[in-house]
Amino acid sequence: MKKTLIATGFVALMSTTAMADGIGVSMALFDDNFLTVLRNGIQEQADAAGLSVQIEDAQNDVAKQLDQINNFIASGVDAIIVNPVDTSATQAMSDAAAAAGVPLVYVNRQPINVDTLPDNQAFVASNEVDSSSQGFIEQCNQWAAAGKSEVAVYVMQGELSNQAAVQRTQNYYDVMEAGKCAVKVTVIDQQSANWSRDQAQSLMTNWLSTGAAFDGVLANNDEMAIGALQAIKAAGIDMGSVIVSGVDATQDALASMQAGELDITVFQNAAAQGGGALDAAVKLAAGEAVEQKIFVAFELVTPANIDGYLAKN
Amino acid sequence: MANGEALHGVGGLTYDPSRRALPPELNVLIALVAITVVFELLNRYNFGWLWNDLPFQQGKSFLFNTRDNLDTLFNEQRINIILLQVAITGIIAIGVTQVIILGGIDLSSGSIVGATAMIAMSFAQTATVNGNPNPKAIFGEGFMDLWVLVPILVGLTCGLIAGCVNGRLVAYTRIPPFIATLGMMVSARGVAKWWSNGNPVSFPTESYASLSNGDMLGGMTFGLLSWSGQNPALVFFLLAILFHLIMTYTLYGKRCYAIGSNEAAARMSGINIARHKVLVYTIAGLLAGVAAILLTSKTLTAQAGMGVMLELDAIAMAVIGGVSLTGGRGSIIGTVLGALIFSVIISGFTSIQLDAYYQEMVKGAIIVGAVVMDQWRQSKRGRG
Repeated sequence: MKKTLIATGFVALMSTTAMADGIGVSMALFDDNFLTVLRNGIQEQADAAGLSVQIEDAQNDVAKQLDQINNFIASGVDAIIVNPVDTSATQAMSDAAAAAGVPLVYVNRQPINVDTLPDNQAFVASNEVDSSSQGFIEQCNQWAAAGKSEVAVYVMQGELSNQAAVQRTQNYYDVMEAGKCAVKVTVIDQQSANWSRDQAQSLMTNWLSTGAAFDGVLANNDEMAIGALQAIKAAGIDMGSVIVSGVDATQDALASMQAGELDITVFQNAAAQGGGALDAAVKLAAGEAVEQKIFVAFELVTPANIDGYLAKN
Repeated sequence: MANGEALHGVGGLTYDPSRRALPPELNVLIALVAITVVFELLNRYNFGWLWNDLPFQQGKSFLFNTRDNLDTLFNEQRINIILLQVAITGIIAIGVTQVIILGGIDLSSGSIVGATAMIAMSFAQTATVNGNPNPKAIFGEGFMDLWVLVPILVGLTCGLIAGCVNGRLVAYTRIPPFIATLGMMVSARGVAKWWSNGNPVSFPTESYASLSNGDMLGGMTFGLLSWSGQNPALVFFLLAILFHLIMTYTLYGKRCYAIGSNEAAARMSGINIARHKVLVYTIAGLLAGVAAILLTSKTLTAQAGMGVMLELDAIAMAVIGGVSLTGGRGSIIGTVLGALIFSVIISGFTSIQLDAYYQEMVKGAIIVGAVVMDQWRQSKRGRG
């Protein structure tokens, strides 16, 4: 089904007479697990409502994304959904859509001009401030329950140029400063593993080779948490003595949790974001008013409630 | 022959052993040792307060074991990770080195890793994960839990085909290798994304997972030696030794150097240049396939973005190791040493808790520095 969609998208690109109506979607990147779930969320919602959507891949290229939006406008779409490549480059997109009077919905990544969006534009996402802090507070509680009062941790950051990595790391420190953490936390070291499992595996092994005692790992996403766990397992360290947390609740992470390895993750409802974005776009296209900031809540996932999330991603 | 010098050739040229240039690999080895010593010193005498405010750890060592709970001289974990974290890129670099010695360049290896990883992993999936059906299944039941040789053969074939296409493009269409492999880089990445519509492919069978995470050395020596979880490093060194011998002692290697030094002269002397080029690029693709198999087995997942920038890391390793981008000069040993320099830097920066921002800056400077030294060495040789 999706292959035919891509094929038709390709044909639509080739032909000069673009489609007359429908909703245009420009995704930052196709080959990203989370964004794929989000993309499928848009597609499923559209299929259910009998709408036609045209989804394009901006391949992490700001210029390409702006071109796609202008092409959508030129083809006369009813509304546009954008998953921005670069959240600081959204002003031009808002301007282009506003000038043409086409409704625009940003999804998942918060545009820099979120507070000055025109009336027929909106933003649908989860609030990053809630993401890693939820998991971290739970992690603190688990340490406290294990009878610890002071813990030493490693922090694994995502790509340093990425807003989510900065925010998710900042959340840890905000939680500590606000006194929301039940135990006293010392950060032994903080490094980037670029969201990647392989790099996280190497980084964790490098950390283990220093021999410093630690009580847990705070990872900005699940892939890195899994990489860290694989390294910890390979080093023969007792999984029960360390608490590892991630963010995203990917299938791989849930399987790791079921196997008794990963302790905590936070579910960001990608499909709900995609569906919410489509709903907002449809309403705006029909001239209805919507909230300009629509937040889809993060949900804490632990072995206690994992069953409810197995089929969601 | 007063002092025992032998006379060689008709021109009466004397062979003077003292004038024989030291192998260029020696410089790389010295650099490797120097960098290691610097990190050892930085660890011993903690300068960490200079660049961050993280807590102080006294009495650390980079390479040596300073812990009470182990009784080895060296910090084995450190040495293992230094070898392991560079092994997969190193395997690619072995192929890239041959291509560069041939006078070409291969930009496609990272993307070939991505595409091969996705395709090979699809044949390595297990049917049940923790008692549930595999949530990332690509094919139906019939293609689950296959014999481990199937994904290996599929992976090797993918690499082989991609490399062969590269080679044929370079050899027969006469377009510059930069362009041919650039095309493959973009197309293979497209294949990686298209294969499962960008979805990751996860949860391989136990036997596939053990390719990287098992203990191959133990199996090969019937349990006499053991190096568990280090299979990529082991494969890297075995392949390095194999290709070092091939490049030094066989016709294949000599042809590579001949074509890279002077293609016209090589053609005049009767070497089938086109056929040899196809062969070398195919081997480079095959090695990228090996890297993809080991990478997916090590991480237990395949993702469309896997291997991005690996080609540039591999080229950088070769260049640091003294392989000349103009072709005809360099060696596999040099590349292995270059790879180790890369790895020591990564581990070293982590051990002194330097932020990732600075790591990249220094990495770039080292690559440029290596090429500057190479140019300087070449011009000196040209004059001398």
